[in-house]
Amino acid sequence: MWFFRSPRIVFGEDSLSFLSMVESRRFLIVTDRYLSGTDILKKVKTALPTGSETMVFSNIGSEPLLSEITSDMDSIYRFEPEIIIGLGGGSSIDAAKIIYALYEKPGLSAFDITPMDNFGMGSRSRLVAIPTTSGTGSECSWAAVFTDDNEKRKNEVASPEILPDYAILDPDLVLDLPRAQTVNTAVDAITHAVESYVSQWNNLYSDILAEKAISLITPNLLRVISDPHDFSARESVHIGSSMAGLSFSNSQIGLAHALGHAMGAYFGIPHGKTVGLYLPEVVRYNRRKAGPRYDNLNKLFPKKFISSTLDLTLRNYFREIGQPTQIKDIPVQKSDYESKISDMKDLASQSTGILTNPEEADSTALEMLLRSVI
Amino acid sequence: MDTKIYLMALLNTYMAKFPSDEWVKLYCDKLNANQKYADAGKNWEGDIVFVVEKDDSLPQDEHIYLDLYHGKCRSAKYIHTGEEVPKSEFSYKGKYGNWRKLMAGQIDPIQGILTGKFRLDGSKMKIMRFTSAAKEMVNTASMVETEF
Repeated sequence: MWFFRSPRIVFGEDSLSFLSMVESRRFLIVTDRYLSGTDILKKVKTALPTGSETMVFSNIGSEPLLSEITSDMDSIYRFEPEIIIGLGGGSSIDAAKIIYALYEKPGLSAFDITPMDNFGMGSRSRLVAIPTTSGTGSECSWAAVFTDDNEKRKNEVASPEILPDYAILDPDLVLDLPRAQTVNTAVDAITHAVESYVSQWNNLYSDILAEKAISLITPNLLRVISDPHDFSARESVHIGSSMAGLSFSNSQIGLAHALGHAMGAYFGIPHGKTVGLYLPEVVRYNRRKAGPRYDNLNKLFPKKFISSTLDLTLRNYFREIGQPTQIKDIPVQKSDYESKISDMKDLASQSTGILTNPEEADSTALEMLLRSVI
Repeated sequence: MDTKIYLMALLNTYMAKFPSDEWVKLYCDKLNANQKYADAGKNWEGDIVFVVEKDDSLPQDEHIYLDLYHGKCRSAKYIHTGEEVPKSEFSYKGKYGNWRKLMAGQIDPIQGILTGKFRLDGSKMKIMRFTSAAKEMVNTASMVETEF
């Protein structure tokens, strides 16, 4: 027995206008400090039903601490939102999930959000996710990541009850995404698709979504890099990324995410860049267990990049889009990286990505993979 | 445990009934011999009770107590009928039939919770950081030659 879980998805041009149809009047918008001063926030506010009351909470940085996420809960309790909107990249949407959980269940600790408990959320509000990047998949997942104030650790929490009720995929909101973020987040999405496809929990639903995600993202990302305002290509990458999010949300991630989260906790490198850094080596490591399935995915990349095995194809593709696969290509000193290997190995070993990776990975294997990118 | 039985078990020629004193002793020994479990559980501190709940094939609930510390099984005990079940930081409960499937690799220990086949009492957050140790515990159980 297993489940397939998904938010209701509103997609395509002008999908933001769906908000005007919502029969609620009190909206909390959770977004990041950068977006709070942009036209994107104005567009969302404008799309809300006439006469709506709006509270904006924008104390979210790129790697938000739990203390930041929960810094204004008293005001949120007083405001009593009917709809909580997560607007932004993965950090903002994940923060909205945490805030939603704590608003629904005052007294709950964010650390206690696990899939093993039933909380009975959803009695006070609904959760809507509006991504402004194409890649994190957070709008379609029941997981959230936040940084612990007291430890160098990215906490992964999960519960089906924090799955957004709606995901709005409006390509207009990603048209002006800068190249670096476009690539970083798309690499995250590619990693979601690859890891979910070979996860020990993979299933027919996650498989088809992962395959389609690779087919949509890999050719269209090249078009977006070439012409950032290519609406059709942007839309394909945006929808492909949400498919990759749905895929991993229903099957789980793997070692590249375990290692990427560990590295991100110590060096503050964007998430997509860290998971992509390890992905080719992880694919090579997993080949004994997942070879035939990787071969299926390998055929889905644009022809000019396809090599004999998926790890080589990924290297070709990543080279083209500017995704590093070696430490020397990112702003981290080799000596700093080496000094943290033991700590990163311990963090990675505690990630749920270890559980479902097709090949077992003990501490020796984790260290080997961490050293493989030096 | 009888020395002969123990030697047979080490040679995998003895089938220990699950759950029983013999099975628990063998399981604890296998855990202590399992380097993968030692690695995955090296930071774990806490005891756990396995509750094997009655079903059509098991007339009454059975309990196994494990004291696990830094990747080792410090002690383990099969709780006989009438004996008090020790208080523990965690309990992992499921019906006898599901325990059989778990040890046969037909149910993943975490998926088992997510699908309602098993229940976990205790800090879920702590367990989520040791999912690989939990999985290795199940793998170790499958190494014990078991008679159901």
